[in-house]
Amino acid sequence: MPTLLELQRNMRAALVERDVGPIGESLIDGIGSERLDIYRNTILSGLTKALRLAFPAVERLVGSEFFESAADAFIAEHPPRAAYLNRYGDEFPDFLSRFPPAASLSYLADVASLEWAVNCALHAPDETPLELSQLAALSPDEQCRVSFRAHPSVGLARSDFPVDGIWRAVLSGDDGAMAALDLTAGPVFLLVERGEAGLEVTRMKKSAWEFVGALCRGEPLLSATNATLGLDAANLLAEQLACGRFVAFALNTHEAPASPEAA
Amino acid sequence: MTSPVVSPTAVTQASLIPAKAGIGLRFQHHQSVIDIQPDVAWMEVHTENYMGGGTALRYLDAIRRDVPISLHGVGLSLGSAEGLDPAHLERIRQVAERIEPGLVSEHIAWSVVGGVHLADLLPLPMTEEALDVVCRHVDQVQLYLNRPILVENPSTYLTFRHSTIPEWEFMAAVAARTGCGILCDVNNIYVSTQNHDWDASAYLAGLPPPAIREIHLAGHAVRQLAGGRTLRIDDHASSVAPEVWALYQEALARFGPVPTLIEWDNNVPPLETLLKEAQHAQALIAAADNKGIAHADAA
Repeated sequence: MPTLLELQRNMRAALVERDVGPIGESLIDGIGSERLDIYRNTILSGLTKALRLAFPAVERLVGSEFFESAADAFIAEHPPRAAYLNRYGDEFPDFLSRFPPAASLSYLADVASLEWAVNCALHAPDETPLELSQLAALSPDEQCRVSFRAHPSVGLARSDFPVDGIWRAVLSGDDGAMAALDLTAGPVFLLVERGEAGLEVTRMKKSAWEFVGALCRGEPLLSATNATLGLDAANLLAEQLACGRFVAFALNTHEAPASPEAA
Repeated sequence: MTSPVVSPTAVTQASLIPAKAGIGLRFQHHQSVIDIQPDVAWMEVHTENYMGGGTALRYLDAIRRDVPISLHGVGLSLGSAEGLDPAHLERIRQVAERIEPGLVSEHIAWSVVGGVHLADLLPLPMTEEALDVVCRHVDQVQLYLNRPILVENPSTYLTFRHSTIPEWEFMAAVAARTGCGILCDVNNIYVSTQNHDWDASAYLAGLPPPAIREIHLAGHAVRQLAGGRTLRIDDHASSVAPEVWALYQEALARFGPVPTLIEWDNNVPPLETLLKEAQHAQALIAAADNKGIAHADAA
């Protein structure tokens, strides 16, 4: 008689690795693998649905049949580690970049990365943004040492392709906009967030994007400023705060606040 | 039935779930519910759909001002031999803190092994070991949330050779040992008793009436297996079957008026269809109540 843990491992072998031998010994006579298939199908369709919800533009780009086969392969390689399925699929963009059948669609993985940032922004916790006035009392020395914690909805993405345009055109079914995109126009630097007006994907200048990225990683203001030459850091910071992109600050440069989820 | 360690003091009067019919609230109906303000006594949501933040939670924040809400979790995996995921339990606590639900429920099932979440409600062997594991986890959850929870009987397609406890006795034992309530899913009882040739009336008779704090009703599918056997599948994708309505009346006769939920999660119909199903349940609750049947305190 298997222990509960043994039985659960055997069930996993049957449902994930399709090795029904060990669990078969525990099942009542007359029960075939058809019944195991019901559980297997529920798991697969549930996880595929979670991926569909997170990556709708990827699905439209490749078609639902292709998407399902990619999802099958992804789920086998990266089953979820937690029951919070709104956050299942963070490895899907990387998986797609290595998925041979998708190799001909060069921007697919980058569109997936953007969609993952969008998905994270949509489900991120609500937090109260930091006000510029809260920084007013800092001395000049403290202002150099200040570091920030980004709003949990803020994510950054970059691509060699205009993935923001692709994403919008695909989701709105606008073939004309899709055809008008110049795929060779050069890289785009994007900031994704859920603001007061809902989800936004904003194209930024490279220098500003790098500056905000450094702050999001928790780097002190001075080092973020120094790393980006020719930037009006004070104005740029004020703009970020006005957009509600940061929620807390700290002065201890040795213990920078936790960085947000990587986009 | 009261628990030795937890009391329902955290539940405010306003959020209590009445012994009436309610509906499962799904994303498709968020806006309609705000616009129409349907006449329904309470609603239930899947806890996992309201973790984190964003639009869904804002809708729920608004809806809960007018309608008592119950939280129904599908991912805690009370039956995992490896123990509960503390991060998931904390996420549930956060949703409960924000929504102040009238009831919090989970399933007698498991999903997690080896750190992998098999995204379904998988069947447990009905053994003393599994009973100990489930009771330990229910205790842990009730202490962590500082409130009693309900546990739902499963729908199953498999049974295990080494099971020694009838499922209804297993349910009753969990309630007796931990002080938790039972969410009696009448569709699940029908599905499982049909699939395993058990007696549905005996199942109902084996459940302790004072522990029954909620009832679920849902649709199921019928599938033909090789060898001419049929299997009923709990897919929540259609209206409640006539046989399940009949079993529900039997349950009401035994348990008295109990908060009753219409669950419909796949092929979700228009809100009006759900409300009609709920009205039918409400009529049956009222009829059972009018017969003056002695009933348990469902609060």
